Amino acid sequence: MQIEFLASYMPIFTSFIVLFAIYLIAALSLNMEYGYGGIPNFGHVFFISVGAYMAGVLTARTVDYIAGIKAGYCSGQASVLRTEYLSSHPMEAIAIFVASLVLGAIIGGLFGYAASYPALRLKEDFLAITLIFIGDMGRIIARNEEGIVCALTGLTGIANPLSFIKDVGTRSIAYALIVVAFAVLTYIYVQRLAKSPFGRLLKAVRDDDLAAMALGKVVPRVRGEIMIIGSALAAIAGVLRTFYIQGVVADDFQPLITFLVLTMVILGGMANNKGVILGTLIMTALDQFISPSFLSLLGVSVEFDVTYMKYIIIGVIIILVLMFRPQGAIPEGPVETPALELSRSSEWDVEEKLEIGGEEESSSSSE
Amino acid sequence: MDLSIPLMNSLTLGSLYTLMALGLTMSFSVTKIANFAHAELVTIGGYVTALLVNWMGYGLGESLIAAFFASALLAVAMDEGVFKPMIKRGSKPLFLLVASIGIGLVVRYLLFIYADLNAVITVQAKANVQLIGRFGRAGITTIHLWVFPITIASVVLLHLMFHYTKPGKALRAMADNEDLARVSGVKIYTLRRLMWFIAGGITGVAGGLWSAYSVITPEIGWYALLRIFAASILGGLVSFWGTIAGGLIVGFAENFGITFMNTYFNVSTAYRPLISFVIIVIVLLLKPTGFAGFDFIGWLKEKMKGGGE
Repeated sequence: MQIEFLASYMPIFTSFIVLFAIYLIAALSLNMEYGYGGIPNFGHVFFISVGAYMAGVLTARTVDYIAGIKAGYCSGQASVLRTEYLSSHPMEAIAIFVASLVLGAIIGGLFGYAASYPALRLKEDFLAITLIFIGDMGRIIARNEEGIVCALTGLTGIANPLSFIKDVGTRSIAYALIVVAFAVLTYIYVQRLAKSPFGRLLKAVRDDDLAAMALGKVVPRVRGEIMIIGSALAAIAGVLRTFYIQGVVADDFQPLITFLVLTMVILGGMANNKGVILGTLIMTALDQFISPSFLSLLGVSVEFDVTYMKYIIIGVIIILVLMFRPQGAIPEGPVETPALELSRSSEWDVEEKLEIGGEEESSSSSE
Repeated sequence: MDLSIPLMNSLTLGSLYTLMALGLTMSFSVTKIANFAHAELVTIGGYVTALLVNWMGYGLGESLIAAFFASALLAVAMDEGVFKPMIKRGSKPLFLLVASIGIGLVVRYLLFIYADLNAVITVQAKANVQLIGRFGRAGITTIHLWVFPITIASVVLLHLMFHYTKPGKALRAMADNEDLARVSGVKIYTLRRLMWFIAGGITGVAGGLWSAYSVITPEIGWYALLRIFAASILGGLVSFWGTIAGGLIVGFAENFGITFMNTYFNVSTAYRPLISFVIIVIVLLLKPTGFAGFDFIGWLKEKMKGGGE
């Protein structure tokens, strides 16, 4: 009885985990750019969408070419044939998945580099305005071009790389594990990046770029680098999303997605990756559970589209957090350096510890 | 190629964009908030007008006055409820921008719920529109008789207010240096309220006119926001005359640009927003001050010298 109960809730649980992990990658990358780097990249959805389109286009074109599918790029028949081909050729499917990730990250990084051009020249709020509109322009182009993701109909048949696994439950759990692995790797990466000298440089540039420049740091390069890193990570989130929903539609990438991800960062705490995890967890839960399908499962029905409720709540959270706790749930901590860890382990006696082989002490205290 | 229709559209839309952008220019120059919830002032104005005309049978004039007050009160409420407390707590300008996005989401989706429940997701004010003349192939209707005089009157009144009345001068002083204005005895919070009231009201009237001109949805404000920002940024976000030029340039560039691209390069008219976007990017990157205090001769001289760093 209990196992049956669990089994019926398993799909909801896995989809929650997958979305959480994808949003986490997106939120961590935005936190890198905005929280640490001070670049208000409010066109974040554009960089996510770049990865998503990349995965869709690459998969569809490659499969059409290898399998010799002649039914038009956007046709439903082609989509069925693609899914069939990918589920019967696991090696090719996985190779395409990996290629999409790599290429998506590269193209995302390139777009990020291109976007860093205005980022170096504009004042904060003007930059934010420009980037918000960049995010929407990408969508307008994609929804009107047949060649990218089939305009309004969307590109389908981008089968999951694991679709050779016949059992749907096992397959979705396996894919969830892959996505979670990516999220964990991203977390470790951004955490290490934040604690590295580069992370401290980022904060220095964010807090006072003139002072950083006076100390001989090349500010434009730092900003360019963080935009490349952040956008590449965002694109990876997009690639993972495309393979998860097995298709890509331009209108999914509304500016609202940026604001949802931004809320995760602001709510959790800017320049604090642990906070971002918390923020992402809360916002993903909101995003998932305020949906018509989940509410009908609970037996609640409303007259209007409940997704409206979701956006109202997002708006209220943004306003309340910025008004009463702009530092977020978990505020930004001091810069993590070996010296700081030493001072924590040794009750203010930093100098003494530094003399007696600080290396060993710091590694043991960090655990 | 007959240019009368794009010309008429450009003039009408240009005037509407100008009217919407005046409010944004005003609030940005005085408070330095890039207010994304400005979009919702347009939408509310549009909905109030459309619903009063369609449901209550009011004339367009009365409905526009109601739209003025509705949007004006919303603008004041935004400032009193969110922006002012945040500024008093020492928020950064960027946080104010993000908060304005939050306000925008709340208002827009509350309106969405209301519109969904009342089946008015798309609506147009059924104003009494009559053809009163022709300009080439384009018709001149009573809507145009509302749009042009209101735009011109707003601009003239704002100009008179900001240059010849005490509150207007004080507002300009605030825009220049708020602290200095304050120590000089300007009641900055009263004036702020006045400013938001007027800025919101004009924007609401523009939204109302839009609802008579074409079909609106709760997202109409977001749709217009790109053009509003383009127009304001062309005016450097501080200058009224620059904003008027900006609104007209955006209107003309959009209509002629897309007609031209569509005829000769077969570009879909759906790319219309890209023109405003390009305007924003080019102006911000090349001349962030827009037309405000544009000194053409000085600029040319600097270019001739090679613009040393």
